[in-house]
Amino acid sequence: MPDSLLLLALVCLPFLGALAAGLLPTRARDAASGIAGTVALACLGLVWAAYPTVSSGGVLRAEFAWMPTLGLNLTLRLDGFAWLFAGLISGIGALVVLYARYYMSSDDPVPRFFAFLLAFMGAMTGVVVSGNLVQLVFFWELTSLFSFLLIGYWHHTAAARDGARMALTVTGAGGLALFGGVLLIGHIVGSYDLDAVLSAGDRIREHPLYLPALILIVLGALTKSAQFPFHFWLPHAMAAPTPVSAYLHSATLVKAGVFLLARLWPVMAGTDAWAWTVGLAGLTTLLLGAYIAIFQNDLKGLLAYSTISHLGLITLLLGLKSELALVAAIFHIINHAAFKCSLFMAAGIIDHETGTRDIRRLSGLNQSMPFTARLAMVAAAAMAGVPLLNGFLSKEMFFAEALTAEAPLSPLLNILPLAAMLASAFSVAYSLRFIHGAFFGPVATDLPRTPHEPASWMRLPVEILVLTCIVVGLLPAATVGPYLAIAVHGVLGDDVPYYSLAVWHGFNLPLVMSLIALAGGVMLYALLQQRLRGDVEGPPLIRRLDAQRIFEQVMVFLSWRLARRLETLLGTRRLQPQLRLIVGIGLLAGAGAVWLRGFGPGNLPSTPVDPVLALVWMVGAAFALGTAWQAKFHRLAAVMLLGGVGLVVCITFVWFSAPDLALTQLTVEVVTTVLLVLGLRWLPKRFQVAGDRGPEVLTRTRRARDLAIAVGAGCGLAALSYAVMTRVPPELLASHFLERAYTEGGGTNVVNVILVDFRGFDTLGEIFVVAAVALTTYALLRRFRPAADSVEIPEQQRDQDGATQHDDAVRPTADWLLVPFTLTRLLFPVMLVVAVFLMLRGHDLPGGGFSAGMVVAIAILLQYIIGGAAWTEAHLRLRPQIWLGAGLLIASGTGIVAWFFGRPFLTTYFAYAELPLIGKVPTASALIFDIGVFALVVGATLLMLVALAHQSVRGHRAAPRRVGSRAGEA
Amino acid sequence: MNWILALPELVLALSGLAILGIGVLPKRNTHFACAMAAVGAFLLAAALAIGAPEGSAFGGQIVSDAFTRFAKVLILIGAAAGVVLSLDYNAREGLDRFEYPVLLVFATLGMLVMVSANDLMSLYIGLELLSLSLYVVAAFNRDDERSAEAGLKYFVLGALASGLLLYGSSLTYGFTGTTNFDRIADALSDPSKASSGLVVGMVFVIVGLAFKVSAVPFHMWTPDVYEGAPTPVTAFFAAAPKVAAIGLFARVLGGPFGDLAGQWQQVIVLISLLSMVLGAFAAIGQSNIKRLMAYSSIGHVGYALVGLAAASEAGMRGLLVYMAIYLLMNLGAFAVLVAMRRQGRAVERVEDLAGLARTDLSMAVWMAIFMFSMAGIPPLAGFFGKMFVFKAAIDAGLWTLAIVGVLSSVVSAFYYLRIVKVMFFDEPAGALDPRPASVSFVMAASGVFTTLFFLYPAPLVAAAQAAVAALLG
Repeated sequence: MPDSLLLLALVCLPFLGALAAGLLPTRARDAASGIAGTVALACLGLVWAAYPTVSSGGVLRAEFAWMPTLGLNLTLRLDGFAWLFAGLISGIGALVVLYARYYMSSDDPVPRFFAFLLAFMGAMTGVVVSGNLVQLVFFWELTSLFSFLLIGYWHHTAAARDGARMALTVTGAGGLALFGGVLLIGHIVGSYDLDAVLSAGDRIREHPLYLPALILIVLGALTKSAQFPFHFWLPHAMAAPTPVSAYLHSATLVKAGVFLLARLWPVMAGTDAWAWTVGLAGLTTLLLGAYIAIFQNDLKGLLAYSTISHLGLITLLLGLKSELALVAAIFHIINHAAFKCSLFMAAGIIDHETGTRDIRRLSGLNQSMPFTARLAMVAAAAMAGVPLLNGFLSKEMFFAEALTAEAPLSPLLNILPLAAMLASAFSVAYSLRFIHGAFFGPVATDLPRTPHEPASWMRLPVEILVLTCIVVGLLPAATVGPYLAIAVHGVLGDDVPYYSLAVWHGFNLPLVMSLIALAGGVMLYALLQQRLRGDVEGPPLIRRLDAQRIFEQVMVFLSWRLARRLETLLGTRRLQPQLRLIVGIGLLAGAGAVWLRGFGPGNLPSTPVDPVLALVWMVGAAFALGTAWQAKFHRLAAVMLLGGVGLVVCITFVWFSAPDLALTQLTVEVVTTVLLVLGLRWLPKRFQVAGDRGPEVLTRTRRARDLAIAVGAGCGLAALSYAVMTRVPPELLASHFLERAYTEGGGTNVVNVILVDFRGFDTLGEIFVVAAVALTTYALLRRFRPAADSVEIPEQQRDQDGATQHDDAVRPTADWLLVPFTLTRLLFPVMLVVAVFLMLRGHDLPGGGFSAGMVVAIAILLQYIIGGAAWTEAHLRLRPQIWLGAGLLIASGTGIVAWFFGRPFLTTYFAYAELPLIGKVPTASALIFDIGVFALVVGATLLMLVALAHQSVRGHRAAPRRVGSRAGEA
Repeated sequence: MNWILALPELVLALSGLAILGIGVLPKRNTHFACAMAAVGAFLLAAALAIGAPEGSAFGGQIVSDAFTRFAKVLILIGAAAGVVLSLDYNAREGLDRFEYPVLLVFATLGMLVMVSANDLMSLYIGLELLSLSLYVVAAFNRDDERSAEAGLKYFVLGALASGLLLYGSSLTYGFTGTTNFDRIADALSDPSKASSGLVVGMVFVIVGLAFKVSAVPFHMWTPDVYEGAPTPVTAFFAAAPKVAAIGLFARVLGGPFGDLAGQWQQVIVLISLLSMVLGAFAAIGQSNIKRLMAYSSIGHVGYALVGLAAASEAGMRGLLVYMAIYLLMNLGAFAVLVAMRRQGRAVERVEDLAGLARTDLSMAVWMAIFMFSMAGIPPLAGFFGKMFVFKAAIDAGLWTLAIVGVLSSVVSAFYYLRIVKVMFFDEPAGALDPRPASVSFVMAASGVFTTLFFLYPAPLVAAAQAAVAALLG
């Protein structure tokens, strides 16, 4: 079989099997387990098929295009080390499937279980055969995901849900950290390919990013392998069905972490940082796990902590700067898988047959299930490191390493053998507790079920595993020797150190240590008898240091208190602070850019400041300040002051010889002020709820802060304007227009020529927009009559209504304001003439259709203001819509006419015409266009203002009146 | 003048007007017909966008290239899905007025103009057309106080941001003498000569755009608007406009200001960093799922900007891939949110999803897939988006950014997983109303993409690659 096909099948078969099992009906227990078993055995066969290549030191490798643009291929790579793991995964997988077939109740949705289990198996295989680090992370996270599903399989129990969530949170987060680390490694090496990474050891260790990469990767490995301080998720994961525990926590999931550490050992180990992080975590976990395990009352809890401790042992071995320690670690991985898996299965059998896993309730099971008891005893003895069993061999190697290894600090070296012996003694004690507690003593009478031997098929996996423990323990070199050699070769390449796999190495120091540990463990157990029978939960001394509780507290803190506090501190739902933030940051960003780049005045010479203009500007500034100040207290005053600011701007325009702008500014200023006032009528008065205000100081501070922001923004803008205006501008459009205004547009008023000629098309578009806006405003406000309970009739209107109630309603204001009323009536024709004047001369001198239109609108507005809507409309027939329509038609018509002369749209014709009385008048066809603009501006302004103004008429529409109907027409 | 290049935009503009006509003239409710017409217009425009020739038109105001093609197709998909999601919801909430699809068509038109803009003018026109339409749809449920507030708030803040953008644009014009992207780029080809006024202008442009993509510290409006607006509107907000704004960001910084990368890189690094961290932490405490998704979207913008911060070809590619994936998975997640109705009323608290696995397993599974994907857990699509941008950042030497990104995705995984936990493990809060087929369709399509992206990522990545090549030219 070609390598690529073999490897692909190895990874894909479990997933396909998972899919097939998942599609089975809920009750199809036999079919699902059949599929799972077949897949596991097939995988084992595939692994075996790779043996010839791997045993000769070869590496199977296959690449498939995946994301070629990113340089990422699906690379599968099976070397000796991966081969060993793949064998463990599929071999133990097959045993677990067989066991689970009998363990799982037919009431559970078993096909789902096998689907998850197979998918997990596939993910785990994926981790070990990944030839690419990103792909490794990918499968790594998949294992987290499927273990989550497996642990939470019995999701109706709270323990399973919490356990699953905690496992996923910790291992998933660790996986993301690993991802970060892998990205860094990829950056250092320049490739994610495992072969490339493995051959770049020196480059990685010497790179400045080595430490962050190391920390992130170690985080990933430690969380996965349940190492201190992330060990707490593992005991909670014991809520999973026992086959899951047997599989995940002996041979697969938790071994992924140590797999990764061993995989990267050649390139990352050997530094002090490695020894400190990995070694220290391993040492702590080794002791802590073993210590806590003694005091567990739950069989599976005991096994969980013992798993943590043994993984700590492996991690510690990997953390030592010694290749022999690596050999010991790999050897222990195999041994631990064998005995721990069988112990979990035994615990599951006990649970299954008795209905409880509490060591204090179990007793004397040796009577009812003698065969299981024998098996468990052998496995536990292997775990305790009793000679002639496999656990003993790797423990001896560990002791030997503990005595000789180099450590970064010498005190650690002295501690190491002691710690090793202590942990070993603990492990003897908890193994004893497991055996003694469950199988010896008086026969328990109050068990939920009557215990008996399990189905023989269920026991078969345990028998196989225990047999392995014994055979390996007796004849290590003949049985496990070649496989271990392959795996070690896979990690270390050709420089494998000499090691000897033998039961008897002579009477040496490690053996003495073993004996001491054995004796110590037995003594410890005897001493603790009294305490262990009691109802005290958890280990003495460190009971309060419950990592799980700390985890929960941290989670609650993070998820609740910190998040809440941050939100109240940093977040707000109020508009004002949000606005403040944007303005403030905009200001800071601008200032920052200036500060970084330096920003001085430009090269243009400065002209002296005219004192009169300065005075005018000071007046303007005073107006502006007054507006800001009054805006809060007196809106009308603020609007008037704002008008003052506009006036000063207008004068400035005149000052700098821009009469055209000044004119436009003036008319626009007038109209907008009127608009503002009309709108302000409807705003409620400023009100204060008694007692709702903070102290006066706060208010003042707030206002001072606002002032500071305003001053800052103003200064910033002023500085920018200054800088811009003191520079020679780049070639802008202005010069283009200045040159061509007369020669091509026939006008000396450049602004007007631009508007009606050069950019006539834009203007046409704009007037259409203005028309649309006017119509929309009208449509919106035509019926605007706020509900009585939402907005009151404005105070001003109520006063007026009160005054006119008993009066003749038709001519109210004329009686009040007789002089202004007369004046405005007199002024009206004058203003119209001014408008015509502005209109006609617009092409050459300041003026134009827009200004003229505004002037007419202002003239009519004056009549409205002084005379009132009713009087004005009784005397003037205003048809804003007609003005609008006529304006648009004239303007577009001018453009279209050009077509008849074979010219593009809006081409202008230009000449001077002699008019009687007025003299020579420029009559470009643009003038007609300008008339269109004029008409439109009149119509649009009136339409909007009338729509607003009529609210006052509509306020008391209840009284039927003659003028009211006319107002409706308009 | 080659108006063929603007064909998708023209089609949308005309369809918008036509749909307006369809809506106004008959006396009966034409919401459904208008919505369908809008979807049709989107699909037609997408087809035209795919086949559009390359070049620039309207005096260099707009361009059409691989980048615009990529962005436009994404935007149109997002917009079409947005309309589809609104169909049932609007009918039940009494929002089934024809103006809704019309506004979405105009908003989408604005987005298309934005991404094909090659001039500060057309950029602004597109941006404002989009924004103005969005202000209105945010307040579409005008009888609802929260919706009205959302619209108003968005308008006030958005207007401010637009002002800053305009100010920046005018400074840029003032110092370079042109608004055309190509010519600005020419003027800046020697970055050392770029005057500081121009840098200030660029900073203001960035501020304005950062507001539009809701990057921290211009994010404040996002949770409020997402929460207040009707859910389909929120779904629309979170999808197409995000892509358009990010696309615009990439275009502006990669094109005209491309040679000033040294200047803007730090700014983008900063806002990306802040967005990721804030998005991760602020979402944890949220109980309203729409607010939560708002913070999540802020975080995702942060991740996408990591790609921009890298200021390299790989980074831009990562950005585009990220946005494509984000768009598609987000649509699915919002389809779930739109489907959250109980006894005829829309519900939007995280607890309302409790026990969903037992009442509606398929929806719970889809949602779980979206949440896992957003958390960046393989093999789902979200993981690849993150991988692309983080890899680019590390290659560009921004490894702090990449590591903070990875760590903040660890934090954000926490709240995504909380939703999964609530759905699968909590006691059911009562069954949700049966969901309409339209929503299920969006959910399933998005879910299938999210799940199976890893099998065949090449087409999307290749399209992004071509787009980047066009962008950086």
